[in-house]
Amino acid sequence: MSQIAATFNRTIKELLRERPVLFWTIAWPIIWVLIGSFTWTGGTPREIVPYVKGSLTVSMMVFALMMAGMANLPSSIANDRENGMLSKLMSMPISPRKDFVGRILALGAFSVLGAGLVTAVGLAVGARFPGTTAQVGQAVGFLLLVVCVSAGIGLLIGTFIKRVQGAVMTGIGISVVTAAVSGIFAPYNVLPPALQQFSRAYPVSSAHASAAYSLLGEPLLGQEIIGYNPLTASQTGLTVAVSLFLLILGTILYSRFSWRTE
Amino acid sequence: MNAIQVENLTKRYGANEVLKEVNLKIEEGEFYALMGPNGSGKTTLAAIIASVKMPTSGSVDIYGRKPWQAKEWIGYVPQENFSSPKLTGRENLMYFAKLLGYSGSQAENLVGEMLDRMGLSIDAGKRVGKYSGGMRKRLEVATALFPGVRILILDEPTTGLDPAARRNFFGLIEEIKDEKTTIFLITHIGADAELASRVGLIDEGEIIAEDTPESLKRIHGLEDVITVETALNSEKVANILREFSDDKRVLETEAGYRIFSKNGDRVVAEAVRKLDYAGYKVTRIEVARPSLEDVFFRLTQKMVREVG
Repeated sequence: MSQIAATFNRTIKELLRERPVLFWTIAWPIIWVLIGSFTWTGGTPREIVPYVKGSLTVSMMVFALMMAGMANLPSSIANDRENGMLSKLMSMPISPRKDFVGRILALGAFSVLGAGLVTAVGLAVGARFPGTTAQVGQAVGFLLLVVCVSAGIGLLIGTFIKRVQGAVMTGIGISVVTAAVSGIFAPYNVLPPALQQFSRAYPVSSAHASAAYSLLGEPLLGQEIIGYNPLTASQTGLTVAVSLFLLILGTILYSRFSWRTE
Repeated sequence: MNAIQVENLTKRYGANEVLKEVNLKIEEGEFYALMGPNGSGKTTLAAIIASVKMPTSGSVDIYGRKPWQAKEWIGYVPQENFSSPKLTGRENLMYFAKLLGYSGSQAENLVGEMLDRMGLSIDAGKRVGKYSGGMRKRLEVATALFPGVRILILDEPTTGLDPAARRNFFGLIEEIKDEKTTIFLITHIGADAELASRVGLIDEGEIIAEDTPESLKRIHGLEDVITVETALNSEKVANILREFSDDKRVLETEAGYRIFSKNGDRVVAEAVRKLDYAGYKVTRIEVARPSLEDVFFRLTQKMVREVG
């Protein structure tokens, strides 16, 4: 426990003290919640506007989680490799698995903070989520899946992209591009059929759709704003399975290759 | 008793053989310096002893154990500045103390003692990003000195330090040496290696000489070293000095041109006269016994830039 706590403390402090991390993970999504809430709702019927803002808030919350996992986590791993910290750790009588758990828990805590702040700003500018308490709980579960899959992808990037700059840019690139083409930034309905298929298979976007669908209250608003029902048994099963697969794959490869003695 | 015993150690990366059948014994409490140029394999050897890398063949024993079974006895300080610049000095040390399993109050007491010992107590609350190079290196050495460490491995610890920071750093190492901790220093700086009780010279993956610093110089560097600094460096100055060099070599170093002669005092007077006659002002000239860098050069013809 001591090693996990030590890694957790170190990682969370580093994340909270790094201005670019705070900007891209927390401030940037908040800026888009504000811009979107005041500029993209002009032609929307007034009674729907709070839910459109809610949908936008969920999208930006998911984007914050993606950035935390896909850019910040690999940056931390690559940085430790580049500045000799990994060599130092490998020379010590400590466990790579506990290091991994400490990092992931810190990432989770940072993600919760980021998502919480984005939500608070969304609510402050009028976003509303008509879902029941049970549906909110369900949405939180799907958002945790976003954390898992983002962490899994982040571990893969951190393991195989050796340089910090490369790892960060790869993480940002994957986050932005996949968010743009999978229905996180743009409505699912405007995507071409191939990207709609991708949107359902890519666990970040399907978990995002599931969380938003739950929060917006199915079937009326959810179906209308999200574009499809992501809460069917087969779709949910696919989302959970692919998310966990990526997390496990990232964990195994990180333990095996990042800590490997050449 | 041998603290470190390396036998027939070879390390290859594909076709590139970085270490070639290296043998090395370092006794408990010894201060051993391994000196060589970049790419000579010294960092790889340190990393293998610290169990960060695996050898291709051969063996390493740490007090009779394999390196990965002796991690609690090894304090490894890699060449890079690995401490986190976003954390304070105290937070960095607390991180390592907790990693090693010390509880909250134990860790705090221990870290407080270490900060005192390293002369960092006043700056313990500052973020490491604001530390000087010397302070940062002292902090990083502290991470390798937790109780139980018997072998301290320092990889190029003075790279980038100014002369004062370097002197302070080795003052600290002198204190550690008194405590009978075995020190294995990796360096490419002769003056650093001179502080060790024994020095190994490594080149292209092989230890080519090994002895006390004085013995190495006595055996391999018999001539005086004459260092000449002129107002401007040119090929003509080098050519004039070449006449006075016993082996006709002139080395260009940061301190000036360097030549070797058995008659240093006579050469100084003649070289100054000849340079002056040719119109080159000598700003500094000195005669010294050879350094370990000179010994290394004598053995390998490498290490410092050569003119002509």
